[in-house]
Order: sequence, then C-alpha cells, then structure tokens
Amino acid sequence: MTQKPEPMNEETKSAAENYAVIMRDVHKWYGKFHVLKNINLNVGVGEKIVVCGPSGSGKSTLIRCINRLEEHQQGEIIVEGIELSHDIKNIESIRREVGMVFQHFNLFPHLTVLENCTLAPIWVRKMPLAEANAVAMKYLERVKIPEQANKYPGQLSGGQQQRVAIARSLCMKPRILLFDEPTSALDPEMIKEVLDVMIQLASEGITMICVTHEMGFARTVGDRVIFMDNGEIIEENNPDDFFLNPQHERTKLFLSQILDH
Amino acid sequence: MGNTVVLHKGGGKNLILSLNSRRFVLLKKIAGMRATKFLAIIAVLFSFTVVAGAGTLEDVKARGKLNCIISSGLAGFASPDGKGGWQGFDVDFCRAVAAAVLGSGDKVNFVPSTNRTRFAQLNAGEGDILFRNTTETLSRDADLKLTFLPINYYDGQGFLVPRDLGVTSATQLAGASVCVQVGTTTELNLADYFRFNKMDYEHLNTGTNAESIIMYESKRCNVYTTDASALASTRAALKKPSDHVILPEIISKEPLGGAVRHGDDRWADIGKWVVNALIIAEEMGITQKNVKELAKKPGNNPSMNRFLGTEGSMGEMLGLDKDWAVNAVSAVGNYGEIFERHLGFNTPLALPRGLNASWKSGGLLYAAPIR
Amino acid sequence: MDWLFLDAAFTGGSRDECSAKAGGACWAVIGERLNLFTYGFYPAAERWRVNLSFVLLIFTLIPILFEKVPYRKYALHIAVAFPFVTAWLLVGGLGLTPVETDQFGGFMLTLVIGITGIGFSLPIGILLALGRQSRLRAIQIFSIGFIEFIRGVPLITLLFVASTMLNYFLPPGVTFDLLLRVLIMVTLFASAYMAEVIRGGLQAIPKGQFEAADSMGLHYWSAMRLIVLPQAMKISIPGIVNTFIGLYKDTTLVIIIGLLDPLGIGRASLADTRWTGLSTEVYLFVAIFFFISCFGMARYSQHLENKLETEHKR
Ligand SMILES: Nc1ncnc2c1ncn2[C@@H]1O[C@H](COP(=O)(O)OP(=O)(O)OP(=O)(O)O)[C@@H](O)[C@H]1O
Ligand SMILES: N[C@@H](CCC(=O)N[C@@H](CS)C(=O)NCC(=O)O)C(=O)O
Ligand SMILES: [Mg+2]
Repeated sequence: MTQKPEPMNEETKSAAENYAVIMRDVHKWYGKFHVLKNINLNVGVGEKIVVCGPSGSGKSTLIRCINRLEEHQQGEIIVEGIELSHDIKNIESIRREVGMVFQHFNLFPHLTVLENCTLAPIWVRKMPLAEANAVAMKYLERVKIPEQANKYPGQLSGGQQQRVAIARSLCMKPRILLFDEPTSALDPEMIKEVLDVMIQLASEGITMICVTHEMGFARTVGDRVIFMDNGEIIEENNPDDFFLNPQHERTKLFLSQILDH
Repeated sequence: MGNTVVLHKGGGKNLILSLNSRRFVLLKKIAGMRATKFLAIIAVLFSFTVVAGAGTLEDVKARGKLNCIISSGLAGFASPDGKGGWQGFDVDFCRAVAAAVLGSGDKVNFVPSTNRTRFAQLNAGEGDILFRNTTETLSRDADLKLTFLPINYYDGQGFLVPRDLGVTSATQLAGASVCVQVGTTTELNLADYFRFNKMDYEHLNTGTNAESIIMYESKRCNVYTTDASALASTRAALKKPSDHVILPEIISKEPLGGAVRHGDDRWADIGKWVVNALIIAEEMGITQKNVKELAKKPGNNPSMNRFLGTEGSMGEMLGLDKDWAVNAVSAVGNYGEIFERHLGFNTPLALPRGLNASWKSGGLLYAAPIR
Repeated sequence: MDWLFLDAAFTGGSRDECSAKAGGACWAVIGERLNLFTYGFYPAAERWRVNLSFVLLIFTLIPILFEKVPYRKYALHIAVAFPFVTAWLLVGGLGLTPVETDQFGGFMLTLVIGITGIGFSLPIGILLALGRQSRLRAIQIFSIGFIEFIRGVPLITLLFVASTMLNYFLPPGVTFDLLLRVLIMVTLFASAYMAEVIRGGLQAIPKGQFEAADSMGLHYWSAMRLIVLPQAMKISIPGIVNTFIGLYKDTTLVIIIGLLDPLGIGRASLADTRWTGLSTEVYLFVAIFFFISCFGMARYSQHLENKLETEHKR
C-alpha cells in the first residue's frame, strides 16, 4: 500500500515555501478501517488551525501523521519543505521542527521538570548543558512555573504538567506546534492557565495546529477551523463564521451538542 | 491399570488416552535410557576428534601435569585436605601414574566428577585417566568405549540401615525406601535384587554420596545402598556411626578399577602397568621407604631389578623413564601401604583387606609379571 | 544456641579432638579449611592476587552501588578496567605466574562466576529484550529463539554441554578454558531470564512515553537509553535482583563440571576421615555465606526501589 515518494514537482516546491504543512490526497487505513479519507489541507506559515469534530473522527490521527507518529498510506505530506517518506533521516529532521503536546502530557516521570526540558535540546540539538538549562528556564518562565524546575512531574498538578509539556516542546524551538486536546484531561480551573499560555504563544508567530473543543480559544487565536467527521474534512471556515453560521448539517449537529453542555 | 481407564471412557477420549499412552511409552523409552549413558554415548560419538590429537602420553608430557578424574568427595577414596591438595585411595593411584610418567606425584590436576558425568568427562578429554570407584562392566567397556585398568579394589554392593530399624538381613527390606546414586551399577543391581526376591521398594535417586548422606540422615530414605567400601566410608561420616549397621548381604560384584578412553593402547598400557607395579611392589616387599635405597644398589634378584629399572628396559618399552616404577612407589608406597593409609584399620573406615589381599595371603590381587 | 557457641570447640585437628574438648559444634573444621573454602585450590603463594582482586572489587562496587561517593564519575570510568585487571590478576600471564582456572574454587569461584554473570547478563538481557520487541524480523526471531531455547534447557545441561560437548565442535588442538566456557554459559543462561524480566518492564511503559520521545526527534537508542530503559529497569528491579540471586546460587552446579564451589568444597571436606560427620557445621557455614550475600543483594534492591520511589513519587 505504501508509495515511493515521488520527486517534488515545481508547483509543490513553490507552494512549500509559503506553507508550513501541505497534505495532498492523504489516505490512511488501520487494517481495513479507512480512518483518513482524501485529506487536503494547506497550513500557512504562522497560521493557527483549530481542528474539531466528534470522537473517533480521525482528528488525532490527522495531526499525528504530520510528525509521523502515524504513517499515511497514500497521498503526500510535506512539512517545512520536506516530504515525509520512509527515510528515517527525513522523519527525524521533521520531528526536530515539529513540537507536540499530548492530551496526557507524556512527561518523563523519572526526570525533573528541568531535565524534561533539556533532554531533547542536549541529545537532539547537541546543545551544551549550560545553554540548554538557560533555554529551559526561559521557557519555564514563559509558562510561569520556573520555581518547579527541580521537581518531578509527579509532584505537579495537571495544569502545571501540561505547561511543562508545552515548555518542553518550545525548548526545541520548533517551527510548528501540534496540540492534541491539551486541556481535555484537565480540571476546569486548570484549563484556563494552559489556554492562557497557548494564547500567548499564538501571538508570537509560531504555526499551530490544535485539536481542541475550546471555542473561546478557537475564536481568540484561530485563523481557521476545520471540522472532521468519519475521517473526512467536512467543513472549514474562519472561526466566527464556523461557529455562528455552520454550513453543513453534521457541523450544526456537532455544534449544538457541544454548545448544550 | 491404564487399560481399565481407557475402557471406561467414551470414544473420543479413548482415542486421546491411547494416543497419549503411546507417546508416554516412547517418552519412557527415552527417559529409561539413563542420562549417564545418553551423555556418554554422545560423548563417544564424537570422541574420535579428541583421540585424533597426539597420544595421551605426549599430551601429558607436554602439559607437565596429569589430569586425573576423581570423585568429588568420598571418605578414604578422595577428599581435599585443608592445604589445597587431595587425599585418598583413588587419589594415590593418580599420583602414582603422574610419578611414573612425569617423575613427581605432585604433578596432577585433580578433576572432581559425579557418577553421572564421569565417563563423559573422560571421553571429552577433561581428564587423561579416571580413578573413581568405578565398576568394570561389559557395557561400560564396550558401549561407553572405556578401557579398564587392572582391578584395584574388589568390592560388592551392600546395604546400610539404622540400627533401630531392627533389620538384620537384606531379605527383610521389603517395602523399604532406598537411597541410591544415579548413573551407577548399584542403581541397576538394586532393581535386579528386589525384583529377583519379589520385594517392593521405593527408590530415591541422589546425585552424589554427600547428597545420599543428607537424605539418609534426614530419614528421607531408611536404607542406603552402594559399594560396601563406600558404605563403610559413609557410615564413618555419619554423626554417630555406631547407630548404623551394614547388612551382611553383598548383592553384587563390584570390581573397581581405573579407566582410560578407548583408542590409545599405549596410554592404557601405562595405566595398567602402574597399577600392576603397585601390587607387585607389595608382593616383593618394596615400600615407599626402601624403594630408593633398593634402586641405588641392585641386588641379584632379576625380577626385582627389572622392577627397579636396573636391569632390562621395561620403562623404555612403555615409553617411560627406567625408574618409572620406583617413582610411583616412592610417591605413594605400594598397594598395601596405600590401602592401610586410607582404608585400613587405623582409619575410621577400618576396612579389612579381605578380597583385596595379595594372592599370596588368600586375596584376589594377582598382577601380571613385569617381564 | 549453646551448641553453636558455648559448647562449641573452635580448635582441634580432627572431630575426635573436638569432641574431647566440648560437646557442641566443632568449628575447627572450618578454621582448618578456611583457606580451602575461600580460595579453593589456588596456589598458596599466589593468594595475594585473589585478595587484591577482592579489594579492587570493593572499590569498584562502591561507586557503582552508591550515588553519594566523591569523584563518582571518575570512579565509574575506572571501573571499566576492573574486569580486565582482575582477569589478569587471577589468571596470570604478562609477568604474573599463570594459574590454571581449574584451581579456582570456593567463595572466590562463586564470586568470579556470580559477578561475571551478573555484570554481563544485564546488558545482554537488555539487548535481547529490545531485540524481542524489535520491528526487524530477523532480530526478533533470533531473540525469541535464543531466549526460549535457553529457558527451555536446564542450566545443568548447559553446563554439561559447556564442559564436554563443546570440545567436539572445536578443531582439535584448540583448547578453550573450562571456566571461560562455564562463564559464558552462565551468562547466557542468566541473560535469557534477564531479558524476560526486562521485557516485562518494557511492556509496562506507557505508549505515550515512546511517542513523546519520538516526537522530539530522539533516535531509537537515545530514546531507549534516556527514557524507556531507566523506567523499565526501575520496574524490573525486583525481578532483576531475583535473577541475580538465582544465578548466584546456581553457581553451586559447577560441581558437575569438576569445579568446587563452597558447597562442593564443604561436601568434599566431609569426606576427609578426620572431619566426617560434621555436616551440620559445614553446611551451616556455607549457608551463612550464601545467606549474607543474597540477603545483601535483596536489601540493596529494596534500598534502590525506595530511593527511586521517593524520587518520582506520584
Ligand atoms: N492504532 C489503531 N488501530 C486501529 N484503529 C485505530 C487506532 N487508533 C485509532 N483508531 C481508530 O481510528 C479512529 C480515529 O481515531 P482518532 O484517535 O484519530 O480519533 P479522534 O478524532 O482523535 O477521537 P477523540 O476525540 O476521541 O480523540 C477511531 O475510530 C479509532 O477507533
Ligand atoms: N561402583 C559403582 C558405584 C559408584 C559410586 O556410586 N560411587 C560413589 C560412592 S558410593 C561415589 O564415588 N560418590 C562420590 C560422589 O558422589 O562424588 C559404579 O561404578 O557405578
Ligand atoms: Mg484524539
């Protein structure tokens, strides 16, 4: 099922300069289950995309294809001008430029907060320890928890842990940040602290693709909202129009459900 | 028994059972082939590789040490002293061979072994020669491809029981639980004896003599059977020897002797004649004390002179120095001295010479002449 | 208790002399044979080499086992040289009188086998465990085959193969040190069990940890070394220590290839006609040795677990 990467044509090349992520006719199957169907999505440099849709619609799968945590079987994905292929070197260089924040944080429990943040810079970017520490402290301050630097993740609250996870991603100075429902495992009072950090980040020009149902966030920072159902992109629009004036029946149904709650 | 079970079961199960039982028979067949024999046969299958090298004599000389397989601890036969050496009847035979070949009874590496592994170790070349309470039998000679040296201890299998068991004869042992070492002739004799006398018994297999003692002392078995010499040694090793008796019946012939691998006749000859020399020395009154003196001034006894190397070229024929026999005797003494030192009345084993007396005193020791 | 100490005789040249003095235990047998129990048949003149190796062992272990040791980093680097230096000390050559390895015995033999087995089975076990989960078919099949084969065969058989069969597969004239063969077999044996213990640990690591590591662009080996293994090892500590203890106790099996560990020395010593009947004393002595070392290991693992527990308390 897998395809050999085709050499990029001229059109693609020039497009790649303007777009952080290009997904063209992407399909993915889990065994027989067709989880992504004909995905076409271009994400501009610095653009903030919000992805939403019902559970099981393929949102996570979509963004996980961008840094090859999942492999697509058909179509092409170009990230920061590099086409994703089986070449592990390609994959690693893309991953260096793409940070990811997970629903369940996935911090390394055996390392301190500071060590969590410096690990990748030291081992992937080959940054000297002192510099890595300085960078890490800078971002821990940005997410407002520098005083927790020497604690272990297990000693922090969920909101704090997610902020560490964001700082950890930032330490690699990524050009693209992927968020997979970063607030949905958090208690309501902690959601705000994480969203505040994300909103601040958004103002700094980084490309963000964010799976979330936080409408406030989507309307504040989102440039575009993408609605998925059944592995397809059903609708995409700017946030205001998307929420106030949904076009598609399924979008309407979905919005009515999340708004009722 | 199995059959009745099969008869009562329904068709499907019946098939399974009978299939299983057939497989069971096969398993039993394989299991019945004792591990010792199995290992030794594999060893034999390949043994040409080992033999293909230079002769054992050359190997030993080049190495400057004799590798001698002994037991891993049997009072009187082989046991370590506190000073890093080994002592015992078998050990002295090793030393005698080393002295005859290399000129010194200290040039020996002792290779402790268990009953189960001794032949495989020999056939694999871990040792040049074996002196280890080993009974000469046809199958060991022919099937396991050993060449036996002259018998150095005429033994027989007996039974050791606690005195308070009240048993005075082996014929009263019906229903007893008996400790016996695996991989031995005694294991086979035991089965034969009880079957022949139509007695039931339960047998507990042990790997070493030390293990048997533990089982026996902790009353896991109430009878221990092995070579009578080893029984004497075991009895002496018990907490209170007088609480135990060795029954009068000797149920088998256990002619114990050294052994070498098949295929190196020259080396077998050396082993054979060293044992003979020790026996002959006793016959001729040559002792550890006087052997050097005698060798210095040859007398007019030709057979004595041949022994001492002062006449003829006996050593040369064996590929050894002319004073090979002198060296052997001066290292460990003659057969009688070895016996008394390790097994005789002044030792806790207190074994009588019995069959192991020289033919001149009514025993079976009768060595071919050095001529 | 009285039997152990008050009524016991500590000197004497034989069991009879002991019982003439006191009615209790006869520890003189241990006293007379302490050297035998410690060094086996290692030549008396060269025993300092064993002693020196033991001192080196302690100096090597301290920085490995305990974190708060000054200059630990440097000490750990030096520790790499330990196996080579000790091997040279014990076996000789290069200026030292060579000592045949079949002269090794007693506690020293247990330590040599135990520490080699422990030292090498851990890394090999880790590789096997990773291999078993590898996506490369060939590596996976090899690892599974190896692990299952070794686990299907009793150690005693492996030792036997090591002691006898191997000779046949080597070209004639090539000799391969018996002890070395045993060390290899014991190590391989322990590695297979170690691999399974560590695999259990690996399976307990949440998928998210791998994903987080991947998403950062870490190489496979870096991710394993920095993230997965430290956590998996922590979970596996009790199993690892169990394997170590098992391996350590299994060294008593070397008797079947003609090497005498303390138990073998003890058994053989009971066959000395001067000391027969003292099985309780001898076995107790050997048991105490094994107990102390195994208990030490168990305690250390507990200490380690507690320490790691407080470090990443949830
Ligand atoms: N490894 C997998 N193997 C098989 N099916 C999978 C696998 N991972 C996900 N799926 C299926 O793919 C579909 C899409 O999953 P995905 O996680 O992308 O959904 P989602 O939109 O992120 O949902 P949610 O909002 O619940 O996180 C689901 O039906 C899921 O059951
Ligand atoms: N002679 C018999 C029996 C040999 C035997 O059992 N030897 C025992 C003594 S009874 C032995 O040497 N034990 C010492 C040990 O177990 O290491 C044979 O050759 O099979
Ligand atoms: Mg999801």
